Amino acid sequence: MTHWQFLLRLNFIGLLTVLSVTGAEPKAGVSASAPQPPAPAATASEDAPFKSQLKPFLAKYCLDCHGNRKQKADINFESFKDSTRLIESRKHWEAVREKLQGREMPPEDKPQPSQEERDRVVHFIETQLAQFDCTGEVNPGQVTLRRLNRSEYNNTIRDLVGLDLNLAADFPSDEVGYGFDNIGDVLSLPPILMEKYLNAAEQVASRAIVTEYPPKTPSRRIPGEELTPKGDEAIRTMPGQGLGLYREGEGWTTHQFSQAGKYQLRVRAYGEQAGLELPRMAVRMDDQEVKVYTVKSTNTKPEVFELPIEVEAGTHRVAVAYLNNYSATDHPDPKLRGDRNLFVKWIEVTGPLDVPPPPLPASHTRIMTCDPSHAHTRDCAVHALRGFASRAWRRPATDQEVERLAQFVDLAQKEKASFLEGIQVAIQAVLASPKFLFRWELDPERDQPAGQRELNDDELASRLSYFLWSSMPDERLFDLARQGALKKEGVLQSEVQRMLQDPKAEAMVKNFAGQWLQIRNLASATPDPGLFPEFNDELRQAMARETELFFQSILKENRSVLDFIDADFTFVNGKLAEFYGIPDVQGDAFQRVALDKKSGRGGILTQASILTITSNPTRTSPVLRGKWILEQILGTPPPPPPPNVPLLEETPEAAASASLRERLELHRSKPECATCHSKMDPLGFAFENFNAIGQWRDLDGKFRIDPAGILPTGESFKGPNDLKSILKSRDTFVRSLAEKVLTFALGRGLEYYDKCVVDDLCAGLARDEYRITTLITGVVRSAAFLKKNVGHGTQTASLKAGSGQAQGTLGKNEKK
Amino acid sequence: MSNLTTQSWRLPRRTFLRGLGTAMALPMLDAMLPARALAGATAGAKSPTRMAFLFVPNGVHMQQWTPTATGADYDLPYILKSLAPYKRDLTILTGLTNDKGRDNNDGPGHHARSAGSFLTGVQPLKSEGSEIRAGISVDQFAAKAIGRETRFASLEIGAEEGRAAGKCDSGYSCAYSNNISWRDESTPMAKETNPRQVFERLFGNDVPAQVSESQARRQRYQKSILDFVLEDAKQLSAKVSGHDQQKIDEYLTAVREIESRVQQAEQQHKMNRGFLADYDQPAGIPDSYEEHIRLLSDMMVLAFQGDVTRISTFMLANEGSNRPYPFVGVREGHHSLSHHGGNKEKLAQISEINKFHIQQFAYLLKKLKGIPEGDGTLLDHCMIVYGAGISDGNAHNNENLPVILAGKGGGTIRPGRHIRYHFETPMSNLMVSMLDRMNVPAQRFADSTGRLKWLEG
Repeated sequence: MTHWQFLLRLNFIGLLTVLSVTGAEPKAGVSASAPQPPAPAATASEDAPFKSQLKPFLAKYCLDCHGNRKQKADINFESFKDSTRLIESRKHWEAVREKLQGREMPPEDKPQPSQEERDRVVHFIETQLAQFDCTGEVNPGQVTLRRLNRSEYNNTIRDLVGLDLNLAADFPSDEVGYGFDNIGDVLSLPPILMEKYLNAAEQVASRAIVTEYPPKTPSRRIPGEELTPKGDEAIRTMPGQGLGLYREGEGWTTHQFSQAGKYQLRVRAYGEQAGLELPRMAVRMDDQEVKVYTVKSTNTKPEVFELPIEVEAGTHRVAVAYLNNYSATDHPDPKLRGDRNLFVKWIEVTGPLDVPPPPLPASHTRIMTCDPSHAHTRDCAVHALRGFASRAWRRPATDQEVERLAQFVDLAQKEKASFLEGIQVAIQAVLASPKFLFRWELDPERDQPAGQRELNDDELASRLSYFLWSSMPDERLFDLARQGALKKEGVLQSEVQRMLQDPKAEAMVKNFAGQWLQIRNLASATPDPGLFPEFNDELRQAMARETELFFQSILKENRSVLDFIDADFTFVNGKLAEFYGIPDVQGDAFQRVALDKKSGRGGILTQASILTITSNPTRTSPVLRGKWILEQILGTPPPPPPPNVPLLEETPEAAASASLRERLELHRSKPECATCHSKMDPLGFAFENFNAIGQWRDLDGKFRIDPAGILPTGESFKGPNDLKSILKSRDTFVRSLAEKVLTFALGRGLEYYDKCVVDDLCAGLARDEYRITTLITGVVRSAAFLKKNVGHGTQTASLKAGSGQAQGTLGKNEKK
Repeated sequence: MSNLTTQSWRLPRRTFLRGLGTAMALPMLDAMLPARALAGATAGAKSPTRMAFLFVPNGVHMQQWTPTATGADYDLPYILKSLAPYKRDLTILTGLTNDKGRDNNDGPGHHARSAGSFLTGVQPLKSEGSEIRAGISVDQFAAKAIGRETRFASLEIGAEEGRAAGKCDSGYSCAYSNNISWRDESTPMAKETNPRQVFERLFGNDVPAQVSESQARRQRYQKSILDFVLEDAKQLSAKVSGHDQQKIDEYLTAVREIESRVQQAEQQHKMNRGFLADYDQPAGIPDSYEEHIRLLSDMMVLAFQGDVTRISTFMLANEGSNRPYPFVGVREGHHSLSHHGGNKEKLAQISEINKFHIQQFAYLLKKLKGIPEGDGTLLDHCMIVYGAGISDGNAHNNENLPVILAGKGGGTIRPGRHIRYHFETPMSNLMVSMLDRMNVPAQRFADSTGRLKWLEG
């Protein structure tokens, strides 16, 4: 038994004997029903730290309700005797810590521990939970089957067929878990999405493959009633009938001739005859008469006049004119009595003629790798579909799979449809298949013994490409996978370098940075237009772009991740420069500018994007800003406020009576608020010189802003620059970033055992000047990325409370 | 045919290619809709009963919501004023409780929990993602039983997209705050937010009355594609376990649902879609929130009118939504305001938001009431529940929820009353009573303790 297997066994034991959750019904077909080891006799002895630090507290404040006598909420602490076992029920103890910290427990009407007692126990639990033995084999964890999310779907189609169709814009939004929208467990597939997938597959197939080739010569028919009359008011359009020319004059239109060359003009017309002549009709191009016809036909059988022309490219005027009107309705000679008129049903322009057909689009030739007009049509289908399916499914398609796909071509031919129509149907099937829509890391055997395995090269190539590009592997990655070369010494590193320099790495900016820094939320930010008239969509987009370009520069230039906190440069366009008060930048294009330390700006914390999304519509919120820093930058989210706590007084009178800071400090003086707000608020106060859309200010209303503060850890700062220095010096930022990158890369929430991987990542960063590529390469080379658990009983789900009740409650002791 | 009827709802944006290029999910369109969609025209035929749930976030200002008088002579407080024309179509239900939205030892996260339990009656599992679990919601419970009688089993719409980044509520995944409809305990039914998409989905694009040879061929292709992917999914399903199994099961269920829709379509007759002629195909999501809600309401009305579905859910906003309502003078975010701490000005602002939402509800009722059907109006054959999962946004309490039931449920409900129920009457009792009227009898639903009394009068 490996080390981690042993630990997992312990988890079972821990759950069963110590903190088992009652009423846990394994969900049918979901949870692996692992053989449950018999519960051993409770032999664990109480260790010293437990005895001295946790036991007295539990006895004094908890056991009355959560002990052998009573198990409120099915929780019993009494059988718990060993502090090293906290980690095995990590989720539960985290819940305990949260409740203590959030002052939810003990209940109000019970004796309350002092703040110091509370803090000490919280600290003890935290310390215990942070202890995990990383010697031995690392547990790579279990990633739940991931379906492509919206951006992955779009990018994959783009790279698969070479058409940027953005079809996923019509899909329902992907759910977010652990801060990201690529988490396998969270991405569900409701029927409406399947509908959209089927639609999208059909669109891709019909756009990628050209079934009619060479294409028909373009032709445009202009109905007579759409011609513009000129020359006399007796020339008029008649709905449903065309243009009537009852006097001399013309009907005209313009046509866009796509290129110079030969075209065919056709005019369908007839006349009403009177007098000695037949109606005469001229066809004019740009007011030049090209040809004059005599119109013999009448309305019973209009005639079509065909006229080859040669024109230059561009828009030309095309007109049909009536040349010889005659009107003598009162003529004494009945032979000469009458009214001569001309009627135009339509004009048609066809062409250019005699030009070679445009080449087949790349999307077509990329799939159709052979010529189906040759003898071995079916071989061609097999060849083309093998190539396409192997790329779409991101692994070589098997003979049997390709044969099944080729049957769509047979089907089409049986339907007397074209070969290419059959290919289109097969393409739809490939794209609607779960093999395309999900990212598979299928184990050879379902019922194999628990253990772990290395990912094969195909699986690894996909993990790499979806991590860095949010898309499928490219040809080079496929090649390396086919040669089995991906895991060779140095290959992963050099591939990461190459991929990060590729334009497709923009996906990392949009998807990782967009969610880590939450700049995606900028799209729905709603600063009050009355208070912030300068905020508009142009500024909104410029703010987002600044942060994206800033992230991108750190990525592409392999800079230190500490630059996120503080840097002496940023990116602005004219609009944003004006907003920031940076001189000499004009126009829409973004450029890199150096930042003066005195400006207080530098790093993401002082970028308008972040400052805006962490504000309320009408004012700044030091609490939100502080909370954002704790969550996104330091990875230490504060517990949520207990219910029934009034938020800050925000009426105009209150605002006039004291500064926001004073009001917050008052709020904080309440003990139930202080624990968390003393962590959040000072962080936010440091940025109070930036208003709710991130613009500099000296005053808040009539009150001078004081950006100084003291952290609960005792460090004091005078303003944002000081605070940034403090944040940079903490390893919590680096650790938090490493955790977030790992979460995004794996598509799962982190578990306690991932601590080992994160430790390694942090150590690696510290050794290499905190360069971002070192972090990314570290993730890619970690066991969590390269391997996966297999077999039964290894799923981390087994650690979790399984009932319909909340996870994070302590189960009561098993009663025998 | 005049241009109006064919052009007014033609899809402007999409470039449909001939033959294969049309939308897959709607193979026969007209032909798929049942004959009874001739709304009101078939005299004597019994109109089906429809059921919808409209959800508003962050609770309401209860003092200006709850009528003081009960019975038929009930008053309409400030928030409900715009419902005056429909007073006799409404049953105001006071005193219902959504117990599973409560803490119940799960700690903070009332917003996520109240939405996740609103129609499920099940305490959502506190999880950021590793295991999303609530319960089947009442609409889906009904859809499973009777969904096959209409082209779409149910319709899920909402006027707010899911949150783009970040967390939603205290350790609960955003899935709980963004959805009220749950297909099963682990699959939230994603909602459609774009009115144009809803319209396209419901009514598809213009297809001639006669199915051409290429369209018929296309339908046969579609069937073989569905067969193909089902086979793929079954093979894969045999090879996986645990959470992966759950994911592939979702896929299988979704494909089977579409498959049965295609099969059923072939047996049904052509619908008279004349009622669509007066309706302009919506262009997309409008800038105005009010217009957005109204377009989506129109979609629900059209869907009910055409009997395309009989079950719908509509989230006017996601739970915990912090959007401001500047067009009614509310510049602060809704969620921040809802923590009013008893402040009068904040409460007044919340009332404005509540009033605005109710005005949109009034719009929906006006539409439903304006459509004759059978011996009455479409509204008479509906049960439209409007409500929130929290009553007071500050206290986050889940008893005494603001709930209105509109319509007569096909003559089984006697509206025009304000009913006050015993404290702690489960909301799920209402669900059981509604299921009865949908012809989906259930002994229990979630935490129900019986049927909701007095609806009949």
